Order: sequence, then C-alpha cells, then structure tokens
Amino acid sequence: MTHFSWYVDGSIVGLYLVATMVVGIMVRKYVGKVEHFLVAGREMDVYLGIASLAATEFGVVTCMYTAQNGYDKGFAGATPGILSAAAMLLVGLTGFCIKPLRDAGVMTIPELFQNRFGPRIRWLAGVVIVLGGLLNMGVFLRTGGEFLLLVCGFPLENAGAAPHTLGGFVGSHYLEIAMTVLLLTVVVYTILGGMLSVLVTEFVQFVVMSIGLIAVTVLILASSDIGWGRLVAAVEAKHGAGGFNPFVHPDMGWPYVVFNALLCTAGMVTWMTMIQRLLAAKDTRTGRKIYTRTSFFFVCRFLVPGIWGIAALAVLTPEMVGGNSLYAMPKFLGAFVPMGLMGILLSAMIAADMSTDSSYMLTWGSVIYNDILAPFRRKPWSEKKGLFWNRSIVAFIGIFLLVYGLWYPLKGDLWTYLGVTGTIYLSSMSVLLVACCYWKRANNWGAAAAIIFGAAIPVAYLVLELVWKVQGVDSAGQVVVKSVVREAVGPYYSGIATYVAAGAAMVIGSLLKPTAPPQPGTEPASTAGPPAFGEARSRKADEAGGPPRA
Amino acid sequence: MGMWDIDPVVRHWFWWAVTAACVLWYSTVTVYVAIKGVSDIRRMLRRLSDAQGGSSAADEGRDD
Repeated sequence: MTHFSWYVDGSIVGLYLVATMVVGIMVRKYVGKVEHFLVAGREMDVYLGIASLAATEFGVVTCMYTAQNGYDKGFAGATPGILSAAAMLLVGLTGFCIKPLRDAGVMTIPELFQNRFGPRIRWLAGVVIVLGGLLNMGVFLRTGGEFLLLVCGFPLENAGAAPHTLGGFVGSHYLEIAMTVLLLTVVVYTILGGMLSVLVTEFVQFVVMSIGLIAVTVLILASSDIGWGRLVAAVEAKHGAGGFNPFVHPDMGWPYVVFNALLCTAGMVTWMTMIQRLLAAKDTRTGRKIYTRTSFFFVCRFLVPGIWGIAALAVLTPEMVGGNSLYAMPKFLGAFVPMGLMGILLSAMIAADMSTDSSYMLTWGSVIYNDILAPFRRKPWSEKKGLFWNRSIVAFIGIFLLVYGLWYPLKGDLWTYLGVTGTIYLSSMSVLLVACCYWKRANNWGAAAAIIFGAAIPVAYLVLELVWKVQGVDSAGQVVVKSVVREAVGPYYSGIATYVAAGAAMVIGSLLKPTAPPQPGTEPASTAGPPAFGEARSRKADEAGGPPRA
Repeated sequence: MGMWDIDPVVRHWFWWAVTAACVLWYSTVTVYVAIKGVSDIRRMLRRLSDAQGGSSAADEGRDD
C-alpha cells in the first residue's frame, strides 16, 4: 500500500520536470564553442561545482545499492562512503593527480596520456573508459525505473494487462514508457546546452534532491515508530557486532576494506564524471576546493540511504521484502512516506536520476569526441562541426541506453558484471594517471601492459566464476552449486590483485623498453616516449590534430 | 524509542555521531550552496556572455 497521490504528488513531480526542462533549455544561447559544450568554458566556480559533483554522483541506482548495503550489512555498509570521503579529502588537500591534470588544460584524461604515451595509448584508454562507462550506465535506467514504480505502488510486471492492445501494451510497460519519457527530457536539454545545461539543471536537482533526502531521513530518525533505537536494535539482531564494524562482519573483513580503499581512491582521480567537474573549474585551486568541500558528501551518499535500508530491515518482514533485498528500501518508503512529502521524495529521486544521466551521457560523449575520434581530426574541425558531432554523440548514447538498458533487459548477474567493468577501468586508468604524472620513466610499453593486465584479471575471474563450479552441501544439508574461484579467492582479493598487477605491469613494461643509445653530440634519447605533458604543450596543436582550444 | 534515548546512543556513539553530522552538514551545505550557487551561475553566464560578445570571426574556424 503506497501513499502516492496523482493529484498532489503527481503535480509536484510534473512542476519539477517542467521547471528543469525550461532551465536546461534557457542556457542554450551561451553555447558557441566545443569548450562551452564539454567543460562550460571552464568558468565553473566552487559552489556550483559542489552542487554539480554531488548531484552527478548520487543517482537512484546509488540510492538503491547503498540502501541495500544498509539492509544487508547494517551501519558497516557505509564503510565505502567513509573511505571515499577520506580519499577525496586527501586528494583535494594534496592535489594528488588532480593538480597536474587540471594544470595541463586538457579536456579528458586520455588527452593527457597522449603526451607521455602516444596517440595509440590515448585511443586505447578512450576505448576502455567509454566501454566501462557505458556498460556501467546501461543498468541505471531500468533499476531507477524499478525504484520509482515500487515507491508509487505500481507493479513491476502487469501480467493482467490485455495483450495486443494499446492499453495492454501500456499496462505491461509502465517502466519502459516512464523511463523513456524521462530520458528524452534529459537528452533534449543535454544536446542543446551541453555542460552548461547540465550544470544549471544539476544545481536545481541538487537542491530538490537534498531537500527530499534530508526530509525523509529526519522523518525516520524522529519517528516514534522507528527512531534511532529501533534502527540499532534491528542491526544488532540481524548482524550483531558485524553490523557496526566492517572488520568483524563475515561478508566483509579487511579484504573488503582494502579493496574499497583502492577502488575509492582510484575513482576519485580517474572516474571521468568527477574529473570533468575538475576540468570545468575555472582554475586548479577552485577544482581542489571543490574536492575538499564535497568530500564529506560521500559519507552522506552511503549513510543516508543506508539509514533507509536499515529502517526497511526494522519495519518489514522478510516475506514483505521478497527474495531481493534491493527492493526493500523502495517498498518501505512507499508505505512510510506521507502524501505530499512523497511528491518531494519522487522529485528528489527523479532529480538524482536526471542529473546522473545527463552528466554521464555528456562525459562519455566527450571522451568519444575528444579521444576516440581524435585520429579523424588531423585537420582541426570548425566549432560548428565540433558542436554538431558532440550533440550527435549524446543522441546516439541516449538511443544506446534506451535499447541496451531498458527495452532489452540484461539477464544474469548484473552486479558482478558492474564490478568487472568498474575494475577494468579504474585499475588501469589510475595506474596510468599516477605514472603519467609522477614517474618520468613511464612509457607506452608500461601503459599498454597496465591496460592489458587491468582487463585480463577481472575478466578471467568472471569467466572462471561462471564455468568452474562444484556441488557442495550447505549448513542446512541442502545440495548447492558453488563457484570454486569465488570460494577460494573471492571478488575482493581478485580486485586487489588487479590493482597490484596493473601497477607491476606498468613498472616492468616501462623498464623493459630499450633505451636508444645517444648519438654523438646530441642529448640522450629518453625512454619515456613523448615528452612529459608540461613540456609538450607548445607542440600539442600540431601533434594532436584536435580542435583549436581557447 | 527516539534519537535521544541514551543507551543505543552510547553503545554506538560513533555511528550516532556520524549520522548526526551527516544530517547537520547536509542541511547546512544545502542552504549555503543554494544561495552561493545562484551567484556562481550568474557570474558564469555573465563571463560567457562577455567572452562571446568580445570574440572575433576567427572563432568560427574553417569548414571541412
């Protein structure tokens, strides 16, 4: 039973959607160059940057996963949030990787790699980033739609709808139709205004999203039916000490903490959607301030929905939740949040979804344009042509998302597949970035080796997990099929090994590249490939063949 | 049982403190960023508008 009302809550949501669309389209007139479209002309200041970064990195799917963490692991499930905040604060304070990245004046990470490792590595890095990013994003639309339907009380599948009629089609495809309309709204203003529209709409979305998150959380904590005491009691009963301490939780422990520390740190310096905010900042100092001042948000990002998940644990019975703990939180909210606030909550979650979708489409689109299409831009393109291609790429990404992620639902273990694509991207890109910024000896041999090992280990783990299985007996005496590699190694050790292997491959590969002997009367040739990015900037326009930059 | 019951607060003071910090920080930052962000947007759009007004025909580049 849900408190959703079409008149009250539906009106609030409708008003919010119209306002967002109007705001997003209004800034279109300020877009005159590719640089405006991709990085807002590098005019973004601190507070807009904070709002944008927070809105981008909090989507409905994030809310679902983090709430599921709260349901399945208690308060200890917020550990990745604490690790992310610590990593972001350190990176912001020290400027680790982000200072040289912003100082270089590039528009994407692979563009930075070209100067040290050459155009082939730039192109390969672009492919890894785009594949990882698009495959990652492919699951967002459906999962976000499921959240909205469950909170509003709609069935995920309407088996009673009359087939072969328009009404039957609509009745059995609520989710697909709703998310298609939502995505089309986002695509329109993203195509028209690029990063400018994204920033301004994200500002609105941040405010709406924050109001919804805070209101619901305060309602849960202050509720006489729930409150802090009942949350704690539920976690103690279900998870014991492990619900408060990740090191003693049976499904976590130190491998979980170490793996997530690596993952979070790598994400802070290489996840392209975050880096794009850094690159859009008006200068390096502003970019670092955005990082330090947004860092604590990542604790909220995990703990706030985590509280909602724990509330679901306290209130719902296992029978009410069903077989999938991912749906516990939306089912709880549908019954708990009163009418009126439900409209604000839905607007908040739609805002979260729209901000993430628009940012992600633009980010992966910028890498496709700037890096994957770089070999086709040996002669610089006009701004008009560049804008046309950027807009077209965003449109194609929107079509891909609709087809791949929504109307053609993925089967199988989505979360393992997300973990694999995430680790392929982050392990190799973080190693390349650190080496590019701080190790003069790094070269294209090491870079290629790091990319290969960063992909090989997670893919091997995934394949072995699927094909190498044995029959066993569980504690209840039931026969179960278990994955050998998951039991013997587990995803966390595999993830840690990937980072170590990618790092080792970078070092060994770089050292293996022969050093060309110096010619008499000349400087010794460097084994580091193209000169470091700071030295090459003056030749970049000739070598890169990219668009002219302001 | 509410947020101010002592026993569950004392038993798990760390998570209580982090939760309270989240609610307080997020509320404060939302208001502060909402106010300051409006100024940032105005400044950003004004700078872009000024830059566009001052740019020359050379910005259009060549057509391929």
